[in-house]
Amino acid sequence: MKIDISIKIGGEAGQGIQTVGQLLALVCQAGMYVMAVNDFESRIRGGRSFFQVRISDRPVQAPDHRIHLLVAMDDKTVQTHAAEMVPGGIILMEKGAGPNKKAVSVPFIELAKQAGARITSNTVAVGACLALLGAPFSIMKRILSEQFSQKSRDILEKNIKAAELGFGAVKGTSFKWAFSWKKTRPRGILMEGSKAVALGAMAGDCRVGAFYPMSPATSIMAHLASFAGQCPVVVEQAEDEIAAVNMVIGAAFAGARAMTATSGGGFSLMVEGLGLAAITETPIVIVNAQRPGPATGLPTRTAQADLHFVIRASQDEFPRFVFAPGTPEEAYDMTARAFNLSEKYQVPAIVLVDQYFNDSLFTIEKPLAAPRNIERSIVGDKDMKDPGAYQRFAITPSGVSPRALPCKGKALVVVSSDEHREDGHISETISDRVRMVDKRQAKWPAMLSEMRPPQGYHGDSDILLIGWGSTKGAIQEAVDGLREKGLDAGSLHFTDLWPFPDSAVKTALQKKKKIIMVEQNTTAQLGQLIRQQTGLDFSGAILKYDGRPFYPKEIIEGVQKKM
Amino acid sequence: MVSIKTYESDYENQWCPGCGNFGILSAIKDALVKLDLTPDKVLIISGIGQAAKTPHFLKCNTFHGLHGRALPVATGAKMANHRLNILVNSGDGDCYGEGGNHFMHAIRRNLDITLLAHNNKVYGLTKGQASPTADLGMVTKQQQAGVTSESFNPLAVAISLGAGFVARGFAGNTEHLSNLIQAGFRHKGFSLIDILQPCVSFNSVNTYDWYKKRVYDLNAKAKHRTEDFTAAITAARVWGDKIPIGIFYRKEIPTFTDQIPALKKRPLIAKVYSQKRLQALLSEQ
Repeated sequence: MKIDISIKIGGEAGQGIQTVGQLLALVCQAGMYVMAVNDFESRIRGGRSFFQVRISDRPVQAPDHRIHLLVAMDDKTVQTHAAEMVPGGIILMEKGAGPNKKAVSVPFIELAKQAGARITSNTVAVGACLALLGAPFSIMKRILSEQFSQKSRDILEKNIKAAELGFGAVKGTSFKWAFSWKKTRPRGILMEGSKAVALGAMAGDCRVGAFYPMSPATSIMAHLASFAGQCPVVVEQAEDEIAAVNMVIGAAFAGARAMTATSGGGFSLMVEGLGLAAITETPIVIVNAQRPGPATGLPTRTAQADLHFVIRASQDEFPRFVFAPGTPEEAYDMTARAFNLSEKYQVPAIVLVDQYFNDSLFTIEKPLAAPRNIERSIVGDKDMKDPGAYQRFAITPSGVSPRALPCKGKALVVVSSDEHREDGHISETISDRVRMVDKRQAKWPAMLSEMRPPQGYHGDSDILLIGWGSTKGAIQEAVDGLREKGLDAGSLHFTDLWPFPDSAVKTALQKKKKIIMVEQNTTAQLGQLIRQQTGLDFSGAILKYDGRPFYPKEIIEGVQKKM
Repeated sequence: MVSIKTYESDYENQWCPGCGNFGILSAIKDALVKLDLTPDKVLIISGIGQAAKTPHFLKCNTFHGLHGRALPVATGAKMANHRLNILVNSGDGDCYGEGGNHFMHAIRRNLDITLLAHNNKVYGLTKGQASPTADLGMVTKQQQAGVTSESFNPLAVAISLGAGFVARGFAGNTEHLSNLIQAGFRHKGFSLIDILQPCVSFNSVNTYDWYKKRVYDLNAKAKHRTEDFTAAITAARVWGDKIPIGIFYRKEIPTFTDQIPALKKRPLIAKVYSQKRLQALLSEQ
């Protein structure tokens, strides 16, 4: 990579850190690949917060540990992040100088006042950053015009003025990593993981959403609600997670595809409902945006420690799908698939994302395509010889019974959370119990055939790094780094986790010299799963559970230590 | 023609002989017939408990869910298809105990359903513990020194939360109860009918005789004005030698689904997926 710059904007929550970062990301996206992470504490104002933008001429899917440009909206940011800076990096700050680092004083607030509004100090900072990067002012002006198109002319003008003043304030300061901005065509679109999930739900024809607010899942439902004006979707904020999942089940039972999104704690409350969906064979989609900690843990941080939990959640045994997208494109595709497969097999589907994935901005290069049509797996009176004899849980070889909807015909639909007969009425007889368990369990083989094998990246290498979900970008970048260092390293990345694609995994893992798990939990949960399902063991693990996303460098160093 | 027979289920009834639920079941059938609803036009949603088994003993569409969770299921079903006629069957433990939070919020939403709460003041299926509506001092095998908490007053709570139709029936007076169910069904919005239901196995205090001596029809002499909020609360607090039954409070207010713009024209499930519409949304991002 010729261009690979990371800019960190730090300050207190409430100082508009995100606004600066997002504006910067949008401007840099004109011609560059951009990825940005959002780091904040669980509080409304104050506390340490930062937004880190990585700009590159190659696709980047993970944050970098090196900072080239630090925008310090307060003094503490300098103290906290100065050590992360590369030699020659620049700190932009209100006034003063950072120790042993090149600090450039930009009077953000004073310049904002000159522009006519103190609130535009963010825009001053963006202007200064872009001037250092060698950006033409015209791009900045275009993006500002787009961003403020809904606001008044006065607000736009003040922001443009603020940007200009910021631009001028660093005049004459040379920045080692400034680059020539030739292309002005935006490269793809910038999107948070949470929005990709919500759009994927729309591509899965989701009509009903019910949720109880919980970080970091809330943004998914906020996006979903924002689509309501254009697509047929209704989102309700439930009184608790238990209500949310039961609402989703009620909606799905009545015929609308439905979802909820929560985090581990909320998922815990939904587990009873998960079982209800399973025994009533009602298709539902639950997104679990993982965060660290049992109970409340770290509400605004990231983790991958709910894999075993979601696979096993609920009493007794029943089939379910579990997916974990690695990129926003995969999240779009996979969430839609979760709806389709959940309905096809009448089982719950769980999509595992995490805080890092949900709150980060990624560049999506290819436009997202809407499916031509939605294949529904629902029957009506016309599909039956005798609607009066309809049985919701009729035994079939596949375990999947024809699913009719209540009050949509003469066929009466009877379902019960109790173990039941084919007609849905409660039964405690041995034969009904066994038949119903066998019927539900009969779905496994066909469900397994729907699962995509893990994706190899230099998958034939001796050393194989194995991960799942959102760590895909960091792992693949680490593979590149390791290969540059002469190691025969590759990776295998899982998105389709349950039913577990046993045989594909066995084939991919055999004869590897070293299998190293890379996960954001303490016990290598996927590694354990591989061992359980294939009998193959891993030789080491790089585990991170501090609540922050992986930097590729950490994975590279972890592997090197194990050599 | 719809008749009582239309709703007869061939599924074996599992209630104790003499259970107050039988009167409620008869009243439901009678009401559905008088409302001229065919079984394919009715969805009964329930939670867990003896009351929640009611839909199995009827012929209709049924969702028999989890303990306390019938109302959220009904909420979701209404979001998907707000034209559904939903009757929720619940018990005092199911609805006011385990599902208390949902009870409160279904009223706040003004979900357009009719809730029949079979209120026998005990948990029957788990063999006789006190329920939230058990009277102070009531002795059970579990509460051997008597219940130490105040009895939950569903009517007063529902009225104070702004429920649009609040009534009390008695399982021993099925004709009156059928009329209440019909009125509740016709009411557009949340209708609560709390039903005094003798439990012949575990409640030896609140028996048929005990109730028969005490209940009186609140609406009989037309003295009670059902639009009078204060009068309704006052009546809801009457308990002891005299126990009012009938409609306590009635008021039409906008329902949950009435207020969702996307549902104005047709139910969500009747809307067609459009690739064009979704592509427009995707292109906008």
